[in-house]
Amino acid sequence: MRRALLLALRDLRLEVRDRAGLLSVLAFFGVMLFIMALALGPEEAPLRRAAPGVLWVALAFASTLLSTRAFALEVEDGTLDDLLLVPGGKEWVYFGKLLFQMLLLLPLSALAFLMAAGLFYLPLEKALPILLTLALGTLGYASVATFYAGLLARLRGREVLLPLLLFSLVVPVVLSAVRATAGLVEGLPLSEVASWWQLLAVFDVVYLTASALLFPVVMEG
Amino acid sequence: MLLRLEAISKRFGRDWVLRDLSFALDRGEVVALLGPNGSGKTTLLRLMAGLLKPTRGRVERGGRVLFLPNPPAFHRHLTAREHLLYDLAFHGGRGDWRGALVRFGLPENLPLAAFSSGMKKRLALARLILLGPDLWLLDEPETALDGEGRELLLKVLQEARQGAGVVLATHDRALAAQVADRTLELGVA
Repeated sequence: MRRALLLALRDLRLEVRDRAGLLSVLAFFGVMLFIMALALGPEEAPLRRAAPGVLWVALAFASTLLSTRAFALEVEDGTLDDLLLVPGGKEWVYFGKLLFQMLLLLPLSALAFLMAAGLFYLPLEKALPILLTLALGTLGYASVATFYAGLLARLRGREVLLPLLLFSLVVPVVLSAVRATAGLVEGLPLSEVASWWQLLAVFDVVYLTASALLFPVVMEG
Repeated sequence: MLLRLEAISKRFGRDWVLRDLSFALDRGEVVALLGPNGSGKTTLLRLMAGLLKPTRGRVERGGRVLFLPNPPAFHRHLTAREHLLYDLAFHGGRGDWRGALVRFGLPENLPLAAFSSGMKKRLALARLILLGPDLWLLDEPETALDGEGRELLLKVLQEARQGAGVVLATHDRALAAQVADRTLELGVA
């Protein structure tokens, strides 16, 4: 796992120095939330009602862009072969790429929540449970996105194929995450929201395990 | 035996690039792959590395492999020092990266985007020396190197011979005659 951590930190360094990928995700994210707020506002009730869906659409697209980016860093520079020739299993590459995305997605989720709190009247006092939901949801989403991004890394048209393959598989994660977020926004007791969290945690474990097991097979195939 | 290929064939779509090729390599051997463009030299190196799977036949490897593509692949936003340190960490090595950079006349802290093709080739050779694989697979290692760089390449190949096996693809028959124990000539399929 030390190699996975180093790979994630190296990718983070590359991304910060390159800037283009990170800035495009941030710009997309901000513009989308802002346009949706303008389209649905200015009344508080419809904005609040739409907030969970808008938030998760923005996070899902950001995660898809970042997962493509995680492997584009290797494909653009031709260095993917070097990673695959490191002796031993290839799981560390998967975990490194996933960790890289989570290191960007978690702060991005926090930023998204703050922006949504301002634009969509999300309750700031629910920050902790909403952030927990965002963390569980983005982990499940990114675990599948990383797997498919690796599978498609060398193909032309990967940016088109990735969402097509990905979205059908992550529907349960997105649905659970939206329902949990909506429950918190509507003021449901935490005991009722907890069942969605449990479901999200189960999806996370299943997707993470299956992706980590299959990743070396598809990369060596 | 460091590397054994048993009757391998490789097809891309309908086109056969290699057919029924058998080959073996021992430690201490240097073999040059010769042949015109499109004869399958790079494909063969990638099959030897395990980066491609043969359509037919078997490949057996008996040690750690490094493949030097042409042009060499590096992250343009990293410096030579950072690249070598990450490589060492991923491969679990503890070599003298600073000594390697000095030996190959390379700056530590210049981003690789500013490196010339020859400097990148030198860095690739430094990386090979530092990581010390058992099997060296080199795709046209002499291209882009100046006279001094070529001398360094000859020395590196002599050092590799001490315990590893080397397969190099080249168009330079003089280099092949100078360094290789034997040659393998590929024709266009």
